[in-house]
Amino acid sequence: MRVSLKWLKEFVDVDVPVEELVERLDMTGTKVEQVVRTGQALHGVVIGRVLRKEQHPNADKLSYCQVDVGTAEPLRIVCGATNFSEGDKVPVALVGATLPSGLTIKRAKLRGLESEGMMCSASELGVGSDASGLLVLPDDAPVGAPYAEYAGLGDTILELEVTPNRPDCLSMFGVAREVGAVLGRDVRYPEWSLKPHGESVDSQVAVEIEDPDLCPRYTARLIRGVRIGPSPDWLAERIVAAGARPINNVVDVTNYVLFELGQPLHAFDLNALARCDGLTRIVVRRAQPGERLTTLDGVQRELSEDMLVIADGSGPVALAGVMGGEDTEVSERTVDVLLESASFDRACISRTSRALGLISESSLRFERGVDPELAAVASERAAALIAELGGGEVAPGIVNVYPRPAKARRITLRCPRMNAFLGTSIASDEAGSILRRLGIVSEPLGDDLVCTVPTFRPDLEREVDLYEEVVRIWGMERVPSTLPGGRERVGGLDRAQRLERRIGVVLRACGLNEHIGLAFEDPRRVAACGFDLGEGEELVELLNPMSSEQSHLRVSTLPGLLDAVSRNQRHGVSDIHLYEIGRVFRTAAGRKLPKERVVLGAVLSGAWDRQQWYERPRQLDFFDAKGVLETLLDDLGVSPWRLEEAQHRWLQPGRSADVVARGEVIGWLGEVAPDLLAAFEVDGAVAAFELDVRSLARAAVGTRRYEEIPRHPAVKLDVAFVVPREVSAEQVATAIRSFGKPLLSEVRLFDVYADPDGAPERRLPEGTKSLAFSLEYRAPDRTLSEDEVRGVHERLVQRVCEKVGATLRG
Amino acid sequence: MDIAGSLIGLRDEALARIAQAPDLESLDAVRVAYLGKKGALTAVLRGLKDLPAEERPAVGRVSNEVRDAVEAALAERRAVLERDLLARRIRAEAVDVTLPGRRRPLGRQHIIHQIVDEIVDVFVGLGYRIAEGPEVELDYYNFTALNHPPEHPARAATDTFYVKDQSGGATGAGLESEVLLRTHTSPVQVRVMEKQQPPIYVLAPGKVFRRDVADPSHLPQFTQIEGLVVDEGITFGDLKGTLEHFVREIFGPDRRVRLRPHFFPFTEPSAEVDVSCAMCGGDGCRSCGGEGWLEVLGCGMVDPNVFRYVGIDSERYTGFAFGMGAERIAALKHGIPDLRLLIEGDMRFLRQF
Ligand SMILES: [Zn+2]
Repeated sequence: MRVSLKWLKEFVDVDVPVEELVERLDMTGTKVEQVVRTGQALHGVVIGRVLRKEQHPNADKLSYCQVDVGTAEPLRIVCGATNFSEGDKVPVALVGATLPSGLTIKRAKLRGLESEGMMCSASELGVGSDASGLLVLPDDAPVGAPYAEYAGLGDTILELEVTPNRPDCLSMFGVAREVGAVLGRDVRYPEWSLKPHGESVDSQVAVEIEDPDLCPRYTARLIRGVRIGPSPDWLAERIVAAGARPINNVVDVTNYVLFELGQPLHAFDLNALARCDGLTRIVVRRAQPGERLTTLDGVQRELSEDMLVIADGSGPVALAGVMGGEDTEVSERTVDVLLESASFDRACISRTSRALGLISESSLRFERGVDPELAAVASERAAALIAELGGGEVAPGIVNVYPRPAKARRITLRCPRMNAFLGTSIASDEAGSILRRLGIVSEPLGDDLVCTVPTFRPDLEREVDLYEEVVRIWGMERVPSTLPGGRERVGGLDRAQRLERRIGVVLRACGLNEHIGLAFEDPRRVAACGFDLGEGEELVELLNPMSSEQSHLRVSTLPGLLDAVSRNQRHGVSDIHLYEIGRVFRTAAGRKLPKERVVLGAVLSGAWDRQQWYERPRQLDFFDAKGVLETLLDDLGVSPWRLEEAQHRWLQPGRSADVVARGEVIGWLGEVAPDLLAAFEVDGAVAAFELDVRSLARAAVGTRRYEEIPRHPAVKLDVAFVVPREVSAEQVATAIRSFGKPLLSEVRLFDVYADPDGAPERRLPEGTKSLAFSLEYRAPDRTLSEDEVRGVHERLVQRVCEKVGATLRG
Repeated sequence: MDIAGSLIGLRDEALARIAQAPDLESLDAVRVAYLGKKGALTAVLRGLKDLPAEERPAVGRVSNEVRDAVEAALAERRAVLERDLLARRIRAEAVDVTLPGRRRPLGRQHIIHQIVDEIVDVFVGLGYRIAEGPEVELDYYNFTALNHPPEHPARAATDTFYVKDQSGGATGAGLESEVLLRTHTSPVQVRVMEKQQPPIYVLAPGKVFRRDVADPSHLPQFTQIEGLVVDEGITFGDLKGTLEHFVREIFGPDRRVRLRPHFFPFTEPSAEVDVSCAMCGGDGCRSCGGEGWLEVLGCGMVDPNVFRYVGIDSERYTGFAFGMGAERIAALKHGIPDLRLLIEGDMRFLRQF
């Protein structure tokens, strides 16, 4: 809402500096977004006197003038206007001045003669609509003085952010009332007088409201014999100050009253409306399917049944509350005007405006709510002004169809409760006086105030709404700060939340950095990755995505993490270690809300750190990811768990596994399949894993039990088994453990060897590999002798060889 | 030549060789040459038993003196050589202490989650628990029960992401359905109040979604932190005091806080909370747009209509709620110029915080 301070001062005394007004408005709920001082735009426009006016030698329609602008030498100016003579005073834009249109005045040659400035029309200065000739000023205008100063154009425009609950502040008078309450000043009401004449409106216009829910009130007046023309300067200036464009006197008046009082009005050309037996019938009704209307902006609109129209006998003539029709608009030929001042349902106007993508000053106000009580007052105000400016006679009376009269609400404000609610001690008479300044009449009743809320404040429905009115004017800054005193509260994180934090701590300790990815997903990518959805499961689809690449919700963090890897590589970063803890989504037929799961995803690419001096960087692979996973699961106390070879479309065969904890698959780990890396434009291998966080939490033990610390020394013996390549390290280790009881206390794999493919010299039989283990034997109660251990060890090795088909490496 | 004389001669010779031994090995060779089993001195000493008994004490004394002198010289020379050797080793092992240390750099937590955790910790300290809700929400929780009228502009399909309803629910003409990506964390308020009677002290951080094109100051997905307190006797002053405490904890003890009345559908009264600009201390400068204040959150007393939806008696209980954007706080606190950096996963960005 643009508020001209000059205009505002008509209704309320603003006797504080602008800065203070802004501060007070800010702190009472009307944020001032911007303060613009106007008039400065006309910098460089001064008052000049035409000394000589001669015919331009090379152009019939131009004159060549000498103009005194208070400088030593008069300026020579070429001019196209004809409505002035020598001795007249006119505004002169000097070289360098910029006019509101954006035009910057330059020294220029016009048909061979140099022009040193420009004499201006009202329209060129943005102070009126008259573009037909120069703005000739009164004789007492001081030559050389800045025009803006002389014309009193200096104004301050406040750009207010009016919150949706305050439709009353969408008018100059409404803002004045608010400012009055804020500054403690009384407001002055606008004044007018209306002298009706001629035949009463009742016999000429009939109004019918078909759907009173959508139109609680409709009024019409007639003004006959209007002379359409440009508005006077003061009116045009006001329209410009409010941010609109002057059109003609009748339309400008309707806009003026809209800005002044907040009531949208519409003027119809009466003679363009269908008439039957001398009677103009206005019907307010829902549009019929397929009906069309060409609105004032020249666009033909297809209407639907949930839109409200104003119709005459022949069809729709206006889109109620949004915009008038082109065929019935007031034009230069208009003589008689039918003035509509009505009230429409907020939701209906909002729907219509949104459906058509058509927003007007009128629709903006109706969708916030316009006080139905205002309709008749504003109509009278506008009729009086039209008659004053455009001549014409206002027909006596008003057609006033008001099926749903607005009622002032009565609300009891319990002052003790208000103070208990706010934590204040505001006296009831102080509260009463704040409310009175806001237009709310209250009567004391014991400790309470019985309040009558005016119809222009539809937002005040409940007692608590009045608390807000009191505290915002009284001053939120005066409310003492306290902390809640409740006794029954215990703060803290629950187990799952603590676990999630712990996961982050461990992964960061492993060197991974946290990423936050978007939840959006491209279904083609999901297909390319080959993520398996469960039986009957589907991706979650957005109805209004921003793009086809973001049309669904993700089912895995992997694609987003691969994107990040690719982006990093494009920026020349090749060592990438990322993790993300976030939600993934799946739905199924019959579900309203999808299933949301929290997953932990991680990717490793490049080396841990290639930018160092102390060792050769090593390409990260499967086992680096597995190492991170081991660290994490170990820290969380997940036991037992193992990796199981598994086929996943998005992982490279042979380097692809499921993570199985306590018999449940809780995620996967592997190296990303080469074709997928290519699709994501990633260079080099990426090792990745993803775990279901809730499953992880289930598998994590709560409490660890103490285990005896060994008191007696161990005996360590190493053994290298040669096994067929398809035998896994886990199989051998499991066999060792199963035969090791009770003395075997620890088994560690410390070497793996296989002849490289195509090696000239074979050290092992074809198709085998060697796995070397270090075995530790220990008894809890005594020191073992070498001999005792050797016997046990040899038997164990023997049985392992039989079990897994191994031989010993020589 | 008498034995004593030859002992003295051997001693002088040994002492000279000891003094000249260049390293421990040569020194050991000298020791073996004189004191070893076949050493020169040992041989002389061995010859002592063949001496007449009356000569033995004198020669024995001399021989002991000679052996002691040689051994002492050996020990002394050994100490010197060892000191030299150690000194040489130390010299050889000297490093350039300015070379970087060997390390595996720790990973970093995302700045947004650092902020969230920091705020969570402040409120846990004030006795709050952490609540969560679904990111795909029902219109009911996101709008209706939060007192948003059916025509509220935030419900438009231009602003809110709507989700295909697989249960066969209707889709509106403007693509609105009853299922959506939550546009704020406030629906968690409703879910908590539905499940739990007061006293309620919860904080609900989480992702939210709005249909904005990503640009320096907008993201289609961002992070909000919602707070809700419902108890007997909760006042607007409690809200004010709580937020002042929070702002000072997060932004610093010297920052000032102000509440500006505002409007939100689900709180009444409502306010926006500003914190004084760190750059200018409230006088107005470029970083605060000349205002001296930076808006950091929205808040208010829980609207009785919201209480009605969840069946809490608004005469007995009062409460307050507040919500803030972690991205905005990150941008203000750390001077992040472009919010898109927060979702790109650029290691160079992530490793800064
Ligand atoms: Zn500042």
